[in-house]
Formats: sequence, structure tokens, C-alpha cells
Amino acid sequence: MPEFLSAGFLSALLTIVLIDLVLAGDNALIIGLVARNLPKNKQRSVIFWGTFGAIAVRALMAVLVVYILDVPGFLLAGGLALIWISRKLLQPDDNAANRHAGPAAASSFAGALRTIVVADAVMGVDNVLAIGGAASGSIVLIVMGLAISVPIIVWGSHLVIRLVDRYPSVILLGGAVLAWTGYSMIVREPLLQPWLVAHPPARFVIAVLVFSISLSPWWTARLSERTQPLVVLLPSLLVWLLAFEIADPHIEKLGGLFTTEIGDYLGEAVRWLGWLPLAAGFIWLREQQRPRRAARS
Amino acid sequence: MLLVHRSRRAADAVRTASLGGELVVASVVLAMLLAAFGDAVDPAWTGEAGLEFALFDFGGELSLFGLHNWHLLQLLAAGGLIAAGIAMFKAAVGRLFRPLHPAPARVIDKVPIELRPKTF
Repeated sequence: MPEFLSAGFLSALLTIVLIDLVLAGDNALIIGLVARNLPKNKQRSVIFWGTFGAIAVRALMAVLVVYILDVPGFLLAGGLALIWISRKLLQPDDNAANRHAGPAAASSFAGALRTIVVADAVMGVDNVLAIGGAASGSIVLIVMGLAISVPIIVWGSHLVIRLVDRYPSVILLGGAVLAWTGYSMIVREPLLQPWLVAHPPARFVIAVLVFSISLSPWWTARLSERTQPLVVLLPSLLVWLLAFEIADPHIEKLGGLFTTEIGDYLGEAVRWLGWLPLAAGFIWLREQQRPRRAARS
Repeated sequence: MLLVHRSRRAADAVRTASLGGELVVASVVLAMLLAAFGDAVDPAWTGEAGLEFALFDFGGELSLFGLHNWHLLQLLAAGGLIAAGIAMFKAAVGRLFRPLHPAPARVIDKVPIELRPKTF
């Protein structure tokens, strides 16, 4: 079977399409907002050259991302950034439709083009980063990702809005796919490989952490006020246990009490029970702040 | 992200998504976590623990928790299957067990519960 028909290739392509659906349409909005105050005869050329500039900037950034993701540390940073992007995507935004987010309308042709290109460079980072992560360095997939995002930029914004308005679950699926891409980038990070090989269960812990943090707006909306602290407590408990797993070999090197049997028992007691006072403190602090939160809402 | 947040329903997707859609996405997330578990767990360890049939082999190619290196298409299909299974299970349980509802509190001949006719 040719490579482009393999499950891996088609899956990566589907990931890119989903990411494009939820992240790529911003340019159309920016171009519309910037060009809205220009005379009719200038509007058409601003839309054409703005679209051209936006696509050129995006292509340049995509090529850069492929090389940057090869630098050690950037896969981890990109994965963490995708977790934040996924959280931001799912975070309910009650005033979104009323707010005129985005750049102000331009009054000249050059000003409009400059605003469009700069805004695209800033707002397209999330999209390009996610596509770079999903493509795993494959230039063919990057080019296909660009080829899919261009029609969305130029013509597809209305279709995208209609799709997500009719099926808001697409946003949830987009968030899950971003989290999955973020997880895949983190576990592919060359700096983490030796540690991940030595501690295989850490992969699963990282996956649970990534999903629980990036999809937390969804869980939070479904939990009652009383159970909402779990959204913070459960990932924190995982981080606590993971920190002990990381620190274990270094603690043994310290010698002294840490190498005796009592030190061993103490270490295990702190590892498995030490989080309880912290959790109790967090719940107490949350209860103290409850009146302030109620007043704010 | 700016574009999708122009839609009121999409900007509040965590509250406006349909139950069916949420079930499918939650099942896909579950499949993703199982795939991460399959990547993390060494099959030799489950073999030593005598769990290889329960977890990995299942008498042939099918492996329940060993979704090792699964791709998004496979995860979506697995998520869809899990969601369909849960929906069918819920429907079957709903047919088998009629839910008991409390009777109105102020009715004179108050009995603690009433059996309402099942509506589908």
C-alpha cells in the first residue's frame, strides 16, 4: 500500500484537518475587520493581497517550525503550548460574540496590509505549531496542511462557523486532538527519551496529566461546585507522585538518613501521605474564597 | 480560535455540546488514554503477572489495553465503538429496569413511589 494511503498518514492528515477547522479561520476574520472601513475599490485589493500575505507568512512559519522542532527542547515547549491552546479553545467565553476582538480597522492600503500580515504572524502561531507537531516533520503533510488551511482562510470561514455552531462537539474533539498532539510531542522530546525509557509508566501519567489539564474546562462545566476541586487536586497528585519518581535517584545519592531503613520508610510516608495536608489546605483556602467568588459572579 | 469563538454556541461548547457528541468525544479521549497506557506498559510485565490473556492477547489479534501506537483514525473508530456500546447498554438497562419516581408530596393518598408508564 502506498505510504499516503497508510493509516498513519491518513490519521495525521485528519489531525491537521481538525486542527485547521478549529484554529485556521482567524485570518478571514482579521482581513474582514481590517478592511471594513476602507473605500469599496480598495477593499477588494486589500482582501486579495492580505490573503496572499497571510498565506505567505503561514508558509514561511510552517517551514521554520519544521526546523525549530528538531532543536532539543522545542518539542516539549510546543507540546506544553498546545496544552494551553487546547485549554483556551475550550474555555467558555460568554462575551465572545459581542466583543470586536482583533485589530482595528485600517484607513490606508499599506496600513491594512501591515496589520493583516502582523496579526496573522501572531495569531497563526498556534495553528502552525499544531500542524508542525501533527506532521512529525513530514514536509508532504505540512504542505497538505497549508493546502487545506488556505481555502479555509479564503472562503471557508462561514462554513466553519456554521459547522461549529451546529455541532459544538467539533470544538471538544478539536481540543482532544490538540491535547493528543501535545502529548505525542512531549513524549517524542529527545531530552526526555532516556528518562521515559527508564520509567515507562511515566508516559501514561503524562497522558493523564495532559488530558486532565487541557480538557479541564469541559470537566469543570460538568462537575458540581462541591466536586470541582478535583479538577486541580487529581492532576496535582499525579505531579506530586511524578516529582518523587524523578527525585528518587537523586535523593539516594544524598546519603545519610536517606539511605537508612527509617529514611526509606519516611520517604515512602511523605510520598503517599504528604499530599494530604496540602490538599486539605487547598480545599480550606477555596472555601475561604467562596464568598468572594460568589460576589464576583 | 478567534473565528470559532464568534459563534455563541461554539464559544460555550463545553455547555452547548449534545449529550451524544460529548459521549463520542469522551469515548475518543478514553481510547487515547488506553493507547497511552498501551505505550507505557511493558507486555513482559503483564506476562509475568499472568495477565497477558486478560489484557493483551484475548485469544488472538485483539488486544484490549494494548492499543500500542494507535493512530487517530483507529482511535476515532474505537471511540465510536465505545460510545455505541455505552449507548446500547444504557438503552438496554433502561428497558430492563423501570425507574421509580417519587409521587407528588401533597397528594392525599400519598404513597412513597409510583410506577410511571415508560415512554421512549
